[in-house]
Amino acid sequence: MTPLRITVNGREHVLPAPPETTLLALLREHLGLTGAKLGCDVGDCGACTVLVDGLAVNACLMLAAQADGRSVLTIEGLATPDALHPIQQAFERHAALQCGFCGPGVILSAKALLDANPAPTAAEIREALAGNLCRCTGYAKMITAVHAAAQALHGATDERSPRATPVPRLPLPGGGTGGPR
Amino acid sequence: MRRRGRGIACMWYPIGFTVSANPSAATVKVNEDGTATLLTGTVETGQGSLTVLGQIAAEALGIATEDVHVVSADTDATPMDTGAIASRTTYVTGNAVKLAGERARAILFEAAAPMLGVKPEQLEARDRKIQVRGFPQRSVPIGEAARHALVGKGEPPIGTASFNPPTVAMDPETGQGKPFATYVYATQIAEVEVDDETGEVEVLRIVAAHDCGTPINPMLVEGQVEGGIAMGLGFALQEEILFDAAGRQINPNLTNYIMPTSLDMPEIEVDIVPSYDPTGPFGAKGVGEPTSVPTAAAIANAIYDAVGVRMTALPMTAERVLAAIKAKRAADAPRLAAD
Amino acid sequence: MSDRRPVTEQEALRESLRGLETARLPATVPPAQFPIETLVPEVRQQTPAVGQRATRPDARLHGLGQTKYIDDLALPGMLHARIKRAGIAAARIARIDTRAAEAMPGVMAVLTGREIPANSFGPSLQDQPVLADERVRHAGDGVAAVAAVTEEIAAQAVERIVVEYEPLPAVFDPFEAMREDAPRVHPPAGNVYAHKIIRKGDVERALAEADRVFEGRWTTQMVEHVPIEPHAAIAAWDANGRLTVYSTLGRITLGRADIARTLALPVNRVQVVGTIVGGNFGGKNEISQEPVLALLAKKAGRPVKGVFTRGEEFYASTTRHPFFMDYSTGVGRDGRIRARKVRLVLDGGAYCSWSETTLGKACILATGPYKIEHVQVEAFAVYTNKTVAGAMRGFGAPQVCFAYESQMDEIAAALAIDPLEIRLANAFDEGAASPTGQTLESVVVKASLEQAAARFGWREPRS
Repeated sequence: MTPLRITVNGREHVLPAPPETTLLALLREHLGLTGAKLGCDVGDCGACTVLVDGLAVNACLMLAAQADGRSVLTIEGLATPDALHPIQQAFERHAALQCGFCGPGVILSAKALLDANPAPTAAEIREALAGNLCRCTGYAKMITAVHAAAQALHGATDERSPRATPVPRLPLPGGGTGGPR
Repeated sequence: MRRRGRGIACMWYPIGFTVSANPSAATVKVNEDGTATLLTGTVETGQGSLTVLGQIAAEALGIATEDVHVVSADTDATPMDTGAIASRTTYVTGNAVKLAGERARAILFEAAAPMLGVKPEQLEARDRKIQVRGFPQRSVPIGEAARHALVGKGEPPIGTASFNPPTVAMDPETGQGKPFATYVYATQIAEVEVDDETGEVEVLRIVAAHDCGTPINPMLVEGQVEGGIAMGLGFALQEEILFDAAGRQINPNLTNYIMPTSLDMPEIEVDIVPSYDPTGPFGAKGVGEPTSVPTAAAIANAIYDAVGVRMTALPMTAERVLAAIKAKRAADAPRLAAD
Repeated sequence: MSDRRPVTEQEALRESLRGLETARLPATVPPAQFPIETLVPEVRQQTPAVGQRATRPDARLHGLGQTKYIDDLALPGMLHARIKRAGIAAARIARIDTRAAEAMPGVMAVLTGREIPANSFGPSLQDQPVLADERVRHAGDGVAAVAAVTEEIAAQAVERIVVEYEPLPAVFDPFEAMREDAPRVHPPAGNVYAHKIIRKGDVERALAEADRVFEGRWTTQMVEHVPIEPHAAIAAWDANGRLTVYSTLGRITLGRADIARTLALPVNRVQVVGTIVGGNFGGKNEISQEPVLALLAKKAGRPVKGVFTRGEEFYASTTRHPFFMDYSTGVGRDGRIRARKVRLVLDGGAYCSWSETTLGKACILATGPYKIEHVQVEAFAVYTNKTVAGAMRGFGAPQVCFAYESQMDEIAAALAIDPLEIRLANAFDEGAASPTGQTLESVVVKASLEQAAARFGWREPRS
């Protein structure tokens, strides 16, 4: 069996993994990156969201082998040693997370959104977070925080954004898309 | 056709257990530099209790939120606490924290009094200083007082206290008694649109005015209200565990058990009702559970206002609302004919 | 048996790594990059502390993915547990055969209910077994448990446990369950396990004398808390026979007492450590799998972790009580409520859990935040062979509020009074007497009505 070659948070790993290993298990158990959470194991809750080649994906549905040759960003790779990422900063400032369990997934979905659409409307933010279930916050402060992060990143939050770019999510075999239900 | 309606609902809700003792204990340790450590046996389950309890300890000592480190949730290391239940943490644990902070403060006052040439009763703790009441320029930094207490007098500034809300047992025949120390109140108003051809209900806006006594941290109060409304909305419109004829659940998963996503949530406007409860820590009561209480009723009343049907069973799914609309049309038809 | 275990474990490990060119996991964990020091938000530095919109100390760790929840913790040599669920609502357990599971490579311990020193728990009635031993009372009851070197092996082993059931008659409807001839969930006791009453004034006479009497029934459904973090715990013993349990419990002091009692240990030999809990909402207020993990860990001589599946979150944890609520309310032509009579039936599911508290709070709150001279509330909690109903955000208050506030609007519509005004006319004032005769203080229900109405624009003309 050929080992997998996966770039995680900018660093290339060559890893042997049994074929049934999910990307989530690879990250959590083999690499010790526990930021992505197991909430439902079937792609409903989005707590395991990570970015694969920039697209938000439910790591519980994706096999590690499907990430072979790709680049994975987890929540652990978002900050630099010197500073929080503006999305992390905005989430802290606005108390957008309560229990925090859904947080890493939500923040990465927000990053995928802001990478594709620097000035999203509230409706676009809601759409982008629809695959991430949160039971604590009612999503209100998350939406505020994503707006604030957009402003910090790009100097603009435009309620009248002409763009309605759908957030790209990686299509996966087995039915789940990880997108809004 | 989409029809718009509005509905109002208010509620009351108690803080703490019904009559039964539900005490909390807390320990506040002031360090040599005037920062402090709070030990509490409660558990952070997302509501922000550790933040709020830290703010209460800080207030009792006249220091800032950042100056208090909170240690929680270890039965070996932290004092007993009835825990994260019954919207009790801010009020019950908060009162214990406040009392513990005041006991530690009293030791600081004893240490600072000779430094300032006054009696301990004349002192207050504010802005990281121990100062003479009415003469704020006569002060010592709290760290100096703490160091003097610890290494000068050999009396570490540590306070431990407990609190249990006072109640009176209920008469078993009539239920008369004082089951709770205090209650909170709230009103929510929902604006909805109901599609009278599909029965689908969209909640457009919820205005929520909640009493929590003094809001120790208004941002976290808002978060509780917003989250409670989300849970109330799911209860009102979406969520239901279903069983087959043999008593087994049909939908034990998040594919078929529908709960609110970011797309389902309306605009929420939160107002905190000015209120002060003299029995609470710095006037605070609590806010956790009640935020979820009036939402379903407000939405039900808004549905009635929109399409004239009175929903009596939750969840008010599109199927049920549509069935009620059809039943109403059928009931109205002969009466219209008779007119 | 115990001598065989290290061998079977090695076999299991070899099995799990079969076909790999390198049977080695990475020796070092890649470091996560995160700022050790960043600016403290100014709001956390300000005095006075109370009233500040201070950021949470846990917020930064949440945002960085550095908060360690139970499932993010691993102890050396830790095993993984799985619980076998009955899948049948009512039955006598005739026989449990665990031999096939025990023989599986990688299975380190198997446990059944008969091995639990004190096999019952519950916050008011201790009517719930940790693992069902003689009788199954709902489909989510645990009947056996396995600890294995991987979760997959534990899950497979649970499938190989054979349980022979003698099905018993079941009851799922609370009104049926209240009948004398109904199947009993906890024989010989009847199915009504809690009853409460509140009585003030003369409700019958006041209803008879009222200008109008409004009657209605409202019902609510069973719902789940859905914390995004499932129930999770790790149990580990030290060589002094002292047990440490890391758990998602929201109430560690009482959790410790329950764990000590079920295991017949002195309380000081049990340590319960909570981490940040990934959502509670009332669902994590009781022990669940903790004693099971402790006993598996004791048998295996190694730490054991258990994490509920999402399915178990639904059928093996508690839920919100379905309510059946009958309201009769006597009202004057002026819209003033004179009398209110309420009857509540709570479907408690198979065990009491927090039903008594839910029943009590629902009773006290059932007539709403209104000045009513004559009240009577009677409520019953009833066993059925369904998922356990327990504490959930509001302890019955969301249910009764749905009823009393719906009826309030019915009354307003019938008397052509504005819904806001009828509430203002009836709401508690400072010093009002509650249905239990308590003098209420710091009462701001009218202020909340006025404030919400002003913010909403309730009194503005409607388009």
